[in-house]
Amino acid sequence: MLRDVGLVYRRRGREPLAALRGIDLDIRDRELFAVVGPTGCGKSSLLLLISGILDPTAGEIVIRGGPVAEAKARTEFGFIFQDAVLLPWRTALDNVRLPLEVTGYDAARRDQRCRELLAFVHLERFAEAMPHELSGGMKQRVAIVRALAHNPSILLMDEPFAALDEITKRKLHLDFLEVWEREHKTAILITHDLYEAIFLADRVAVMTPGPGRIRAIVPVDLPRPRTLEMRDSEAFVRQARAVRELLEG
Amino acid sequence: MAAGRLTVGEMAQALREQYGPPLQFLVVVIAVWELGAWALEIPNWLLPPPHRILQRFLEARNLTYHTAVTLSEALAGFALSAILGPVLAAGIANMRFLERGVFPYIVLANAVPIVAIAPLLTVWLGYGVAPKVAVAMIISFFPIVTNSARGFASADYRIVRLMQSLNASRFVIFRKIQVPTALPYIFAGFKISLSLSLIGAVVGEFYGGGDKGLGYLITATAAQFDTPLLFVAVAILALSGVAFFQIATVFERRLIYWATADVATQR
Repeated sequence: MLRDVGLVYRRRGREPLAALRGIDLDIRDRELFAVVGPTGCGKSSLLLLISGILDPTAGEIVIRGGPVAEAKARTEFGFIFQDAVLLPWRTALDNVRLPLEVTGYDAARRDQRCRELLAFVHLERFAEAMPHELSGGMKQRVAIVRALAHNPSILLMDEPFAALDEITKRKLHLDFLEVWEREHKTAILITHDLYEAIFLADRVAVMTPGPGRIRAIVPVDLPRPRTLEMRDSEAFVRQARAVRELLEG
Repeated sequence: MAAGRLTVGEMAQALREQYGPPLQFLVVVIAVWELGAWALEIPNWLLPPPHRILQRFLEARNLTYHTAVTLSEALAGFALSAILGPVLAAGIANMRFLERGVFPYIVLANAVPIVAIAPLLTVWLGYGVAPKVAVAMIISFFPIVTNSARGFASADYRIVRLMQSLNASRFVIFRKIQVPTALPYIFAGFKISLSLSLIGAVVGEFYGGGDKGLGYLITATAAQFDTPLLFVAVAILALSGVAFFQIATVFERRLIYWATADVATQR
């Protein structure tokens, strides 16, 4: 939960830059919450605040009743970035295992856990493959299950599908939803693709830039599990239009 | 990437393609050189013909000894830098004080011509092997430090963030992320420094006043107008440099299997 959160970047030799102002968000447990906004509206800064990498310059952030630092100490966060950012010297399996090594997960069960996770995203046959042998979509699937490996309660996703081509992206949306419904984590999805936001999320927050504010929070009215056909449904188109109008103006 | 088994014919073909052109060129150069020296009656002390150099190579004594001395000096100096360089670089990349306070002096020290330091090292360390090793070490230090420091600093900030969010200690981040990231850079520094270390050893011998090593051999043969032997010494140095580089490349491929050309652009 974010209450009246603001963030000002102090920049050497230049005017301070207000990135976020008066952000109020109450993200529910196990909800898939999307934040859409144009580039530079401060939506990525939001993730830095929630994960405790940056401290807000105003307001407060509470995660499960406690401060961010406590959630961080419990390693409750899993990160997915725009690029997979896999370690090129590790196999797919070893990349997924990285969070387990760091958090001290039961050593005897690490590999088994990683294989299960890779199977979730249909990569069980590529466990021993090196990153350069995987396609962009496959790498991103490895990155998704790496974020889940240490069983965090909150997934922080910074434009995780933005670097993929349209076909791969749609396929990965479904793969991601399948994994998310299985693990059912709270997930915060930052994206500039409003169709993606509506297709995946339970609620969509619309942000406007300069400084970043929440303009509206739109609940998505689509049943789960989501299917690709829904993207052509009247309900989807209507909600997309509503979000687009909010974004534009 | 994994090349299938080659037949003997294919292998011969590949070797011909790689080594054919330079060998053909070498034959032409040697022929022109040999004929030119004979036709123009160039004296041996000025420019000996190739057959004379070969002859001198075969009759020279102590060549192996001089070569061994210089190569060991170079390798010892390189080894010291290869150990100390990455250690210092890791500090520079991770500690602001070292980066701001010490690194400028490393740059400054590197700007001093090595030939200006060599005589001083002889004053300090005497006429033995030590000053030669020291010169080889100093000359090979800088490329290793700068390349390694860049390597340690090139860890992707997102993966570092991910590690921090998992409460990984700085040491764990260093060991699991920074060190493997830096390895290709460290090796790039090694490859530059291996050739430099040979130069360092020879320069050390030039100014060190000893009586062994290829550097000594070069000054001595030049003073005696034994130009054929001088050519032999130079050729050995050149071939040693190439050999060092090739050996380093083999190690590099083994150790840093992921950083081949087609991987470098991907993540």
